[in-house]
Amino acid sequence: MRRPIQATVTTEVATGTVAAGKGKTTTGGWRFYLGFFMKDKPAFGGLIIVAVFVIWGALEGLMQLLSLWFPHGRLFGHPYSWALIPSNPFVLNFSPSYKLQPPSLAHFPSFLFGTNVDGQSILARLMYATPHDLAAPIVVVGSALLIGMFLGTAAGYFGGWTDEVIMRLTDAFLALPALILAIAVGVLLGGGFTSVLVALMIVWWPTYARFFRAQALTIRERGYVESSKLSGSSSLKILIKHIIPNSIDPIIAYVTLDFGTVILFLAALAFIGVGLSLYPEWGSESNFGLDYFPTFWWWSIVPGIIIGVVVIGFTLVGDRLQDLISGRMTY
Amino acid sequence: MVSSIVLYLIRRSINAVITIVLLLALVFILLHTIIRSPEGLARVICGNPHCSNSAIALIIKQNGLTNPLWVQFFSYINQVFHGNLGIDTFYRGRPELSVIEAFLPITLELVVTGSALGILIGIFTGSIAASNRNRAQDYGIKAVYLTAWSAPVFLVGFVLQLIFAYWLKLLPAHGIANAFLTPPKVLTGAPLIDALIDGKWVYAYSVAQHLVLPAFALAVASFGITTRLTRASMIDALDRDYVKLAYMKGLSKRTVVWGTAFRNAVIPIITLIALTFAFSVGGAVIIEDVFSYYGMGYFTVQAIYNSDYPAILAFVLIIGLAVIIANLVADLLYAVADPRVRLT
Amino acid sequence: MADSDDSDIVDIEGLTITYRTVYGNLVSLNSVDFKVKRGESVSIVGESGSGKSTLGLAIVRLLAPNASYSSGRIMLDGHDVTKLSNRQVSLLRGTTAFMIFQDPLNTLNPVKRVDVQMLEAIRSRLKQEGQPFNEESAYKEAVDRLNDVRMPDADSIITRYPHQLSGGQIQRVVIAMGLLMRPKLMIADEPTSALDVTVQAQVLELLRDLQRNYQMSIIFITHDINVAHSISERMVVMYAGEVIEASPTESLVKNGLHPYSQALIASIPTISKSEGKLTAIAGSPPDMISPPNGCRFHPRCPHVMQVCTVQSPRTTVKDGSEVRCFLYG
Repeated sequence: MRRPIQATVTTEVATGTVAAGKGKTTTGGWRFYLGFFMKDKPAFGGLIIVAVFVIWGALEGLMQLLSLWFPHGRLFGHPYSWALIPSNPFVLNFSPSYKLQPPSLAHFPSFLFGTNVDGQSILARLMYATPHDLAAPIVVVGSALLIGMFLGTAAGYFGGWTDEVIMRLTDAFLALPALILAIAVGVLLGGGFTSVLVALMIVWWPTYARFFRAQALTIRERGYVESSKLSGSSSLKILIKHIIPNSIDPIIAYVTLDFGTVILFLAALAFIGVGLSLYPEWGSESNFGLDYFPTFWWWSIVPGIIIGVVVIGFTLVGDRLQDLISGRMTY
Repeated sequence: MVSSIVLYLIRRSINAVITIVLLLALVFILLHTIIRSPEGLARVICGNPHCSNSAIALIIKQNGLTNPLWVQFFSYINQVFHGNLGIDTFYRGRPELSVIEAFLPITLELVVTGSALGILIGIFTGSIAASNRNRAQDYGIKAVYLTAWSAPVFLVGFVLQLIFAYWLKLLPAHGIANAFLTPPKVLTGAPLIDALIDGKWVYAYSVAQHLVLPAFALAVASFGITTRLTRASMIDALDRDYVKLAYMKGLSKRTVVWGTAFRNAVIPIITLIALTFAFSVGGAVIIEDVFSYYGMGYFTVQAIYNSDYPAILAFVLIIGLAVIIANLVADLLYAVADPRVRLT
Repeated sequence: MADSDDSDIVDIEGLTITYRTVYGNLVSLNSVDFKVKRGESVSIVGESGSGKSTLGLAIVRLLAPNASYSSGRIMLDGHDVTKLSNRQVSLLRGTTAFMIFQDPLNTLNPVKRVDVQMLEAIRSRLKQEGQPFNEESAYKEAVDRLNDVRMPDADSIITRYPHQLSGGQIQRVVIAMGLLMRPKLMIADEPTSALDVTVQAQVLELLRDLQRNYQMSIIFITHDINVAHSISERMVVMYAGEVIEASPTESLVKNGLHPYSQALIASIPTISKSEGKLTAIAGSPPDMISPPNGCRFHPRCPHVMQVCTVQSPRTTVKDGSEVRCFLYG
């Protein structure tokens, strides 16, 4: 389920002629990027999905923190944690008119995605779970970037034994399917959201290490690194000054795609029961519906669709960014 | 020429062995960083939370759990290289290896079928998309593969079940084969292959029917990544001068696309085989849960719910080995496909 | 298929080609007129981005997928390339026009042996001619052509893979492959730029001899005026997607008309004027997405006039040269 970084394949489509035109055409700034996304309808749709997801995740995350700090605080007469959500995601209601109701407009919007066996609104539970799905990619990809940058750049820049040891270690990690390794680590750490995060952090860095190593190798050969070496700059300075800034462009697109992948992994782990707690997760919601499938299909299907939609958002944005960065900018 | 292939493979095999040792170290370190005391380890090996103190002491003694870590590590490696795979210390109460023997071939059959299906379709659609770049075919294929790529595996499974099993009633949704049929003699452990060897055609048909949906669900996942990489690789090849030169020879578009560009584009895709295999194994854990397909994945999910650490680690180890072997096979194919590797 | 012998092998009129890019539409060729007579050798000279390679690729219809023929026609041996079906174009490629590319490392298919690739060419030609293919005689023909391009040790070269050959050897193989197709027109897109200077001279001499022996037309695309001078009878200078001057080689080199041609000539280092200063052309190449109004060269032109900034000059004929510049009317 890991996607390889695609920086190795570049294509030239009339780049020569484009380059000639670069003089006066703006190729940077948020206006250019926004215009660039607006031109491609699917990518713009992806951008909107991502924006909605990020804003809601951050807002609801903040509300849950508030609720933690002020357990007795009230907004619209409800605790902060679900004040912005259509109904209490935890309340049990076994009355037949609440239990296992199909998606409908009744009690709008509570029943929009149907209810589960405990009479809880699936919409409310999915909304409540969003902060985890926002936090996980930020933490996991962020840590992978840092670890990968450190190890990969060191391996590529110093070469020799450092390189050999780091790359063998990376290979060993990459030899295992990331999901399997994450399952093992997650279970061994005893479950819970934190252990899932740690498990994902442990398996996530190798791809980034490889990427930064490749970057360091190419950049090391370029003239300006040589010249700053001759002028007496320290290795560390060279690394920070040249290798890292030069790696940022290609990594941005990959990081965007990877956000989606982390969400998929989190969902997959929750689905098979790694890191379960009382806190609802998108993946585990889907799994709880397994025993009621296919009669009460919405319980399993709706969470899956929500995950898919969010991931598609990141994929569309990342895909478009990759087009921009790799020079396939012709459509 | 032959000798250089052999040298190349020897080099790759040595790398694979190093990777295996590191993998073992990883599993070992994982276990020992999480559980530090010999008592804790013994409890894990025993598996029963109410294990008596005398039993714990016996396990510690038998497994040398008080020895220095490096001694334990070498005895662990020693066991693995003697075919024990560490499972006899891990797998309590049941005959060694039998669990793996019983479950692994079932999963392998599913994973190989699924990823092969996904790769073949993906290579085909990716090539079509690349050779019709920026036309309707390209956009259509892109829409499909981006969706396939972004959908969680279990959703794909559920949707396939809904449509083909519950709505159209074409295929079964659960299990490996019809439970009322007599299974074939166990030879390889893979149900379809065994049934075919044994000549149990009805059973083979039933297995094939049960295999279609889970394999297809797995294929969807690998289809996305293969299409994307094939398309990129094909576009790269199609932009090369040798493709223009092939056109200059007056060859038709079909001959150029499949005879010249594809032949080159497929080389980087070979490395994808191992990758796809690896992530299909990951996907199989989920798919087997959704389809009640009783293979390694199903067994792992049970182990997760029972906090059965040794079983999970054994699974990790086995899968790691399978993936390393898949990598070796990909390397061999690579050497066959690319004269630049073969001759240098 | 062939028309009467006095018609031009290539006759391009008002050709405009546009690339779609994220920055906007890029007009790579802007209403270009261009002719090549049978048996003639013509050079197209210009900076990178001037559209010279696009022109070559347009003739054999191998433009990138984001390019489109906006207007104009390309008559190649009496057929309008812009209107033909894919199948008809593939019949013209090779036997009518053959193109050689710049980068030797990418020109031959890396996974097939040289002989396989050469036999492919022969098989395709025989199929177009409707004649049977004979492996043995085809192989002999391939070796003969390699000898024609003065390839030492042709018998052994032909059994190798491309990565085992040098850049010069590869270009010779490609030229030999061109000869196997027996084209009426050879288009060479900077075939020597990636080669060592000595090899470069050998390949140029070879092309010149072959043109004479096989009575082919040659279009030689280059940024190097020296190379153009040594190989062609006529030179076409391109700037920013437009043909700005087309003159016989000698007269252009001695007495270029367009200020840009003059600047190009002045920038060549030659031994005779090695003491003198080299003149670089002031300014930078134009932005092709929003090119300057009027004459596209006017921001860099030393003789710029009021009219140049508003109006595009038309082609005028002077002393057997065609030139687009207000200095000449």
